[in-house]
Amino acid sequence: MLELTNLHKRYGDVVALAGCSFAVEPGRMLGFLGPNGAGKTTAMRTIFGLVTPDEGTVTWDRQPVTTEQRRRFGYMPEQRGLYPKMRSHDHLAYLGRLRGMSAREASVSADSWLDRFGLAERRTDPVEALSHGNQQRVQLAAALVHDPELLVLDEPFSGLDPIASETMSDILREQTAMGKAVVFSSHQLDLVEDLCEEVAIINMGGIVLEGNVRRLKDAAPIRHLELELDGDVDTLIDTLDGVRAVRSDGARHTMIIDAATDVRGFVAKAQDIGRLRHFSYTTPSLSDLFREVVT
Amino acid sequence: MSSIAIMWQVARREVKERGRSRAYLLTTVFTFLIVLALVVVPGLIGGDTDEFTVGSVGEDNDAIVRSAELLGNALDEPDAEPSVAFEIEHFNDRTEAEAALSEGELDAVLVDGASVIVESVGGFGESAVLSLLQRGAASVELEMIVSESGQAATDVIEVMTSDPLETTTLSGQDADDGSQGAVAYAGLLLLYMAVLLYGNWILSGVTEEKSNRVVEVLLSSVKPWQLLAGKIVGIGLLAITQFAGTIAVAVIALRVTGTFELPSLNFATVANLVVWFVLGFLLFAVMFGAAGSLVSRMEDAQNVAFPMSMIAVVGFFVSIAALGDPDGLPALIGTFVPLTAPFVVPVRAALEAIPAWQYGAAVVLTVAAIFGLVLVAGRIYAGGLLRFGTRVKLREAWRSADT
Repeated sequence: MLELTNLHKRYGDVVALAGCSFAVEPGRMLGFLGPNGAGKTTAMRTIFGLVTPDEGTVTWDRQPVTTEQRRRFGYMPEQRGLYPKMRSHDHLAYLGRLRGMSAREASVSADSWLDRFGLAERRTDPVEALSHGNQQRVQLAAALVHDPELLVLDEPFSGLDPIASETMSDILREQTAMGKAVVFSSHQLDLVEDLCEEVAIINMGGIVLEGNVRRLKDAAPIRHLELELDGDVDTLIDTLDGVRAVRSDGARHTMIIDAATDVRGFVAKAQDIGRLRHFSYTTPSLSDLFREVVT
Repeated sequence: MSSIAIMWQVARREVKERGRSRAYLLTTVFTFLIVLALVVVPGLIGGDTDEFTVGSVGEDNDAIVRSAELLGNALDEPDAEPSVAFEIEHFNDRTEAEAALSEGELDAVLVDGASVIVESVGGFGESAVLSLLQRGAASVELEMIVSESGQAATDVIEVMTSDPLETTTLSGQDADDGSQGAVAYAGLLLLYMAVLLYGNWILSGVTEEKSNRVVEVLLSSVKPWQLLAGKIVGIGLLAITQFAGTIAVAVIALRVTGTFELPSLNFATVANLVVWFVLGFLLFAVMFGAAGSLVSRMEDAQNVAFPMSMIAVVGFFVSIAALGDPDGLPALIGTFVPLTAPFVVPVRAALEAIPAWQYGAAVVLTVAAIFGLVLVAGRIYAGGLLRFGTRVKLREAWRSADT
């Protein structure tokens, strides 16, 4: 299990991490969320010793993470980068060898990942000759080539088209099913909601929400309410208690309201005013939760 | 996985990828061609006979010209083409001869065996013909003095071109072993070139990893110092290969063409050069590597290389001074400053002008400096590598590695 405990990091006056803690177990996938500049990349870099925290610990199976252990982790940094002139196969094999694989193992694994991504024919092409999408695939293979126990991916979905996103999702699911611990950061909350059972949300260097997505939603102090009505909606909404936010998109009105608010009377009132075309009252979406905790 | 194994992987990649690159192959071929040209071209030019045409006005000129020709060729190998050949053209009066001289048909004009006219003084060609004619005239005069004294006037030319004094040195050098200085100078020049050329390879290799951001993936698995050390070893191997190849090409070309006589090399001379070549290369490679980690773009790389290039230039000039005065103060100071020692010490050693204790101390100091620099540079490197964008200040890099 990977555990980050009470991490603090300052750069001069800038606080990057302020008591950041979260954990990922093998066989689980954690969505690591937060607005830009919240400290996601810094936190991920501490796992690889790329940033040394001022305070706090990073442990794997309760032991401090060593360089030797890090060779059994896979990392895809936010800033992608490979040697542009190196051949795809040689590049992956080199990274495999740096992480302790034998020449043969590394070569076989590099080929099998290229094959998986449909790049078997391009194995001797220099990385720079590949399309942007294919370079992204090689970059992902670079994190996977040595069959790591833990995968840390910083914004793996950014810049991917829907098909490539789907492939990425499949691979993350598959790696999780193989018993690996997976952490990835993303701004695509719907995608995270779809993929992850667990999330951690970081804001201003500290974790503001962490846990099982379903339980978090159930326990949230807010509910998501959608309404589509012919009639004077504004007056109706004014009669509702505990409205935190209202968003109107044409005839459809979306509201975040306190979980404690009783909406049964509200539905009756709505039906009195006019024809009720749509009504839904649900636990908040991950986006709702995210907005709630970071604003 | 041991640090050595990781460094070896890094070094291996450098050798494989860089060694295959067009840039490496081109510079190698290019260097070979330049060396070949340097060896072969002087041979082609130098092998020719210099031909001079001398105008003669009046009497007593022919003997001078003949003596000048003998003097010019006195040191030639028995079977070789003569170095100089003189042709005499007779004129009835001085004005005609001067006209021909100014037309460029003549190299000089002799008048009555008493005066010589050239177009101007100071150029190379003119002074050669002038000095030969002067010495020719002197030997003619000597012959006359000798024969007037009643003795045979033979062998004046031979005496004038010989070194009759036997030379011994206090340092115990072989008298005609002045070639050691030439060897030291050549080694020095090579070190200087290698430091700048291969130092820049390391610099750009490091900057390249930053500019294409691959460094973050690498550093997730290896430590910065392992990456730096592996890079230096890998590029160092390529450098030494290219370098040894260049020297081999030069030696073979010299053997074949016989342009210059190869100085005899003993084991101590070669060991001295190799030791200081390796020390000097390592010293500068470490500094170049650290400098490269401060910038993210190739355009900025040359700016950070400037201080190292300046140090190399200073080292080069101090060692030139040491070549002239191997016991002087600059040479002494240069010996004990690790940054200049690789340039100065091999020169002093080749001239056998350095006490053993100084030599030993210089080696120890330089090795210590390399280790010290590895620590300092490793930290700057570690601090600089993950800071992208603008050039990282030295102090910032140092501090951020600390935290």
